[in-house]
Amino acid sequence: MTTTLAPSVPRAHKPGGRDRAIGAIIVVVGAFVTWVFGIGSSGRANTTLTFDPVNISGTVPWHLANLTVSSRWTNVALGLTIIAVGVEILWRRAQRFVTLRLGGVAVFFFFALLIWAGRTHGPSQVGFINVTSILVGGAVVAMVLIFGSLSGVLCERSGVVNIAIEGQFIGGVFFGAVIQSETNNWFYAAIGAAVVGALLGSILAFLALRYQSDQIIVGVVIVTMMSGLSSYLNLQVLTPYPQYNAGNLAPNLPIPLLAKIPVLGPVLFDESGFFYVMIIMVALISFALFKTRWGLRVRAVGEHPDAAAAVGINVIRTRYINVIMGGAVAGLGGIALIGFQGQFTVGITQGYGYIALAGLIFGRWRPSGAVVAATIFGLSVYLADNLQTYQIPVSTEILGMFPYVITIAVVSGLIGRVRAPAADGLPYKRD
Amino acid sequence: MPKFRKPNLRRISASPVLVTFFAVALGLVVGAIVIVVTSTPVLDAWRGIFHSWGAPGHAINMTFNHVGAAYRDMFTGSIIDPQTFWHALTSGKGWPAAMTPISETLTYATPLVIASIGVGICFQTGIFNIGANGQAIIGGIAGTAVGAFVHLPTIFLIPITLASGIAGGMLAGAIPGLLKAWTGAHEVIVTIMLNYVIANFLIFTLLSTSLQLPGQQNDLSRTLRPGAILAPIFGASTGLRVNYGVFIAIGVVVFAWWFLERSSLGFEYRVSGANPNAARVSGIKPRRVVIGVFLISGGLSGLAGITQVAGTTHYIDGGFLIGNAGIGFTAITVALLGRNRPMGIVWGSLLFAALGVGGRSMQAATGIPLDLATVIQSAVVLFVATPALVKELFRLRATSTSAVQLATQGWSS
Repeated sequence: MTTTLAPSVPRAHKPGGRDRAIGAIIVVVGAFVTWVFGIGSSGRANTTLTFDPVNISGTVPWHLANLTVSSRWTNVALGLTIIAVGVEILWRRAQRFVTLRLGGVAVFFFFALLIWAGRTHGPSQVGFINVTSILVGGAVVAMVLIFGSLSGVLCERSGVVNIAIEGQFIGGVFFGAVIQSETNNWFYAAIGAAVVGALLGSILAFLALRYQSDQIIVGVVIVTMMSGLSSYLNLQVLTPYPQYNAGNLAPNLPIPLLAKIPVLGPVLFDESGFFYVMIIMVALISFALFKTRWGLRVRAVGEHPDAAAAVGINVIRTRYINVIMGGAVAGLGGIALIGFQGQFTVGITQGYGYIALAGLIFGRWRPSGAVVAATIFGLSVYLADNLQTYQIPVSTEILGMFPYVITIAVVSGLIGRVRAPAADGLPYKRD
Repeated sequence: MPKFRKPNLRRISASPVLVTFFAVALGLVVGAIVIVVTSTPVLDAWRGIFHSWGAPGHAINMTFNHVGAAYRDMFTGSIIDPQTFWHALTSGKGWPAAMTPISETLTYATPLVIASIGVGICFQTGIFNIGANGQAIIGGIAGTAVGAFVHLPTIFLIPITLASGIAGGMLAGAIPGLLKAWTGAHEVIVTIMLNYVIANFLIFTLLSTSLQLPGQQNDLSRTLRPGAILAPIFGASTGLRVNYGVFIAIGVVVFAWWFLERSSLGFEYRVSGANPNAARVSGIKPRRVVIGVFLISGGLSGLAGITQVAGTTHYIDGGFLIGNAGIGFTAITVALLGRNRPMGIVWGSLLFAALGVGGRSMQAATGIPLDLATVIQSAVVLFVATPALVKELFRLRATSTSAVQLATQGWSS
């Protein structure tokens, strides 16, 4: 709420109350995993991990033998590892790789849950865990979230809060699906989705930069408008003309040889073109933001616009460009979503835009951090949607809360105090 | 705007009311554009304008007919239908039918006013409560649970039902309040995520708890006991659904006016919203303000939820406050439209309720989807949030009408 332009106070390197709380929570999670998933399961129960992807269209990776492990002792090991991480945070304040550490805890937790759910003589009829297909499922959701987070990085590093990511997703999803169905060309669809996202970004930029409207209000209203408009157009256009919603899937473009690597191949190198575009964009935006003159200027505008203006940077123009680019990136996220979901349905984005926003905060306004965050969120969204196949004794609705609860936990500062760009969300008035 | 321009005395000065009026007009224009570009007959007429001399006129005619029909149905469905009204006036019979549209609008507006007041109080404190819908759902669930299970005479049962609705909403509101106060989690993300959590929770309670209607497989709750129902004011026989919830809404408006304008706590909240630094310096504890305002706002949202159940539906199902029925989302736009002031919110609620109710009869009559109402509402609010744009478009004289501005700027703390 307040904006302090003073340099942040150097922190003491002792664990504070928050760190102690985080450490304690992690220890509790570890104890839970050890006890319920580990000791709680029968000593003779085994879990089989398989690595051959199901539903492969083209490339078959090299076969990796199934791995059968003891459910109990694997989970005890995982639980103890989680406890160790928690104790370490309790012991001394984690200096670096905090995001990565928490990501590791989350992944260990999911892994333990799966091993427990897929154990022999467990509730599930499915007697194995297909590691590869879970990772593939998580990766495509993560791809969408990363597009959203990158959009947020571009906007917020220049000092504009883009809450409209969800709306830009909806725009990209809807118009991308229509253009794809009409032209049967994913490239045109991507261009169209990016243009729609950019248009929505320019509405936000126009109202926020020219008229200094409240960015959060404008963002939220854009989302409301897009969800209303997409539902309206769905009934008015797509229902009578279903050929505009053909539901095609974006084809996978396997990279030769690399796609044959077990596990990693299907996850990283046998994806739709949007996945590779996303990877290139992460690298490009990281480089541009932190290693080029342009990036320095953008960050200056986001941190201290008056100082930036004083050295001759056009603050308003920089923000316009970034917000519009951010909108285009979010629009690409929308088309990437339709690329693996196929058909447009109302509410298809399920709040991914907001989860991406949380991922941005979790990733501390860095593209690389956003990747880690999106991986965790992507996995949790995918597992929430698919854990039911393992018939674990929790109802679908409770599982469905999972990603959102994790998001709340994350923004509630499981990661310690985060620092946004100093001028983030503040209107700027040229003198 | 260049400084050397001569002052134009004919320019009307921009009062907030005038800006809002023009914003509504612009919103209707946006809606009309959306109708036109998605209606095949109109588009066909425009496509053929070079085919004959009469074609352009025909196209223009088509456009106005189409938009006119949609907006006419909206008006007759939500405010008054001149034909039935005239019939009632001349024959003295059929008054219920003539009053049905306005009764429907009031029925829809009742919970909307309550929820919007809650959101508006948050806005005035500089807090963005997007979770009103979730809080209303929890209030509805809690109130339904009490109203469906507890055996008591009406005089006790209604207050207890309403109170448990309020308590449920407060509970849901306490989460973002506490998290914001103690961890600095931004309330926008927390409340939006809670909306999704609560939407899942709603289905869970309707499918897996004893609130589900016995012998029912679908997501449908038990019905409220007759003693817990807010009865229709004009009796059930007239078919007019407007119920005693209206008086609850009036009570909430009076409370909000008193709270914001006369109470010292309300003053503290408004100071915190207007200038957080000044508030802190003068000894107002920001944490208490955040938690308190979320409790009040959540409680009001919960009251809105249970008023909706007790007054209109008498049970909840999986579509309770979901999608178009999400009064908690409309409440955000209403609060902005009414500039967060109680009376402004009353007018805003009536307007948006009329749009929602009229949208339904428009959908029935012309097939244009009800979602058009959402599009119009959000367009109106975009213009209200940007008074400078409206002033420029209509060349109104600039006065000190400030935009709706929040103190919710930045993410951390």
